[in-house]
Amino acid sequence: MSLIQINHLKKSFRGTEVIKGIDFQLDKGKCIALLGPNGAGKTTTLRMLSGLMEPTDGTIIFTDAKKGEDIRELIGYLPQFPVFYEWMSGLEFLSYAGRLAGLGRKEAKDRSLELLKLVGILEAKNRRVAKYSGGMKQRLGIAQALIHRPQLIMLDEPVSALDPIGRREVLDMLEGLKKETTILFSTHILNDAEEICDEILFLHNGKIVESGSMAELRERHQQPKIDLFFTGKSGEYAEIFSNHKLTHSISVEGNRVSVFVTNIVLARQAFLRLIAEQNLPLERFEVSSMTLEDVFMKVVGK
Amino acid sequence: MNQWSTLFQKELIEMWRNFKWVWVPITFILLGVSEPVSSYYLPQIIDSLGGLPEGTVIEIPPPTASEVLIQGLSQYTTIGVLIIVLSTMAIIAGERKSGVAAMILVKPVSYFSFITAKWAGGFLLLWVSLLIGSIATWYYTGILFDWIPIDLFFQSYLLYGLWLTVVLTLTVFFSASLLTPGIAGFTSLAVVFVFTLVTGPLSNWLEWSPSQLTNYANELLLSSAIPDDTLPASLLTLACIIILLWLSVFIFRKKELAS
Repeated sequence: MSLIQINHLKKSFRGTEVIKGIDFQLDKGKCIALLGPNGAGKTTTLRMLSGLMEPTDGTIIFTDAKKGEDIRELIGYLPQFPVFYEWMSGLEFLSYAGRLAGLGRKEAKDRSLELLKLVGILEAKNRRVAKYSGGMKQRLGIAQALIHRPQLIMLDEPVSALDPIGRREVLDMLEGLKKETTILFSTHILNDAEEICDEILFLHNGKIVESGSMAELRERHQQPKIDLFFTGKSGEYAEIFSNHKLTHSISVEGNRVSVFVTNIVLARQAFLRLIAEQNLPLERFEVSSMTLEDVFMKVVGK
Repeated sequence: MNQWSTLFQKELIEMWRNFKWVWVPITFILLGVSEPVSSYYLPQIIDSLGGLPEGTVIEIPPPTASEVLIQGLSQYTTIGVLIIVLSTMAIIAGERKSGVAAMILVKPVSYFSFITAKWAGGFLLLWVSLLIGSIATWYYTGILFDWIPIDLFFQSYLLYGLWLTVVLTLTVFFSASLLTPGIAGFTSLAVVFVFTLVTGPLSNWLEWSPSQLTNYANELLLSSAIPDDTLPASLLTLACIIILLWLSVFIFRKKELAS
């Protein structure tokens, strides 16, 4: 079920086209990663979806929005560098945001406390935002995006600025949020996307160069590969495999021999037999799947 | 309306926490009161500074109460204007520059409410500060010189307030349409300055100009009668305020919040 439909979205700044006509749709309840190198147009895309920027061309259609409804009611947005009224406390800012989004006074406060607990900064609720650390501001930013229970939350690089522990916690938090709402977040960290997302959009130079679920991407880009690790120098064993009829190409790195094969099932049987017959000093045998990084390099590289 | 009052309350609390509610009224009191006090004590001040040379005979006619009050109130059209502009110039430009405006306006907040609530906050601060300041001036003028009828004083207070509201609205307008608080402040001051300057020599043709209001207030205090052009000038001023405010919302809405 589609939540939002983006058609041929374009954005130019002083004649330079930054987003060059992108089309995609987001399905309800999914967690989607917007991936791309720095400068690919991720932030610009999110800003257009949140209504902070006017697209030069193209349309953004919320499937559920009634006619004349303010789409800002349906979305929550966390910019890359969230800023707050520094003179407010965390609780005050959240309640303020909640009130502005149409919650009653009591409701706004209850929801704020609930969210402060969720993002783990409840004990700092009465401290001025000016005294918050970067990680706490990021958490407060996520909380304010959720305050009015939006159908879609958009997070711009939510974990890039955090330390490893903070990153872990925020990722776990997003994992939990997946049950409640649709999440679109931008990142250039592939592991994060791979870990929690159902779907991936690759943005490169203002275009979507690849998209789909992890499984689909793997299938499309899969080049079956077997990694063999030997004791000692692996180079001398590489020859044995390079002449095999199932081998497509081969690469040696340290004690690892990576064999790209044409048929993984046949190759696995044949190689294991070969190793046993020749009594090769095998340490590890790995049928490896393609990582997102491989896909990334492949789509961005072309 | 609910949302508007939330925005308005936030402005009031912010002005309380950054002490605007303290320093603006106090400055207005000091500005106004210094006039009757220094006029009254001028002879003693001259004496304490060594006095005039032996044999000099200079008659300093004691100023009338109206003149003193006018002098006091006219401080508000110079330094008072500066204070209003400086304390208002960041009201929108500052929030946009820091990015917090974008945080607020991705919520379903009406741009009209966002701007008018800020303006209303500044409006309240201005009128309250001006009231406290000018009442203090009127009071000291009364003690040290002569009492000016309260209704006359009150009418001139309204006229001064109206002109300063134009200054406030102009600053809000530039704060909404320019990107940095400093440039917004400078432009507002420049426009007010040029406007006042032009109105002076051309006062015969610009009788309804908003910056004439303070002159009419002064005339009112001197002659105890409301000058002829006061009403049309006031109405035109009100129209200017409404138009400027409307333009602020219009231009702000057109601008992209993120750059």
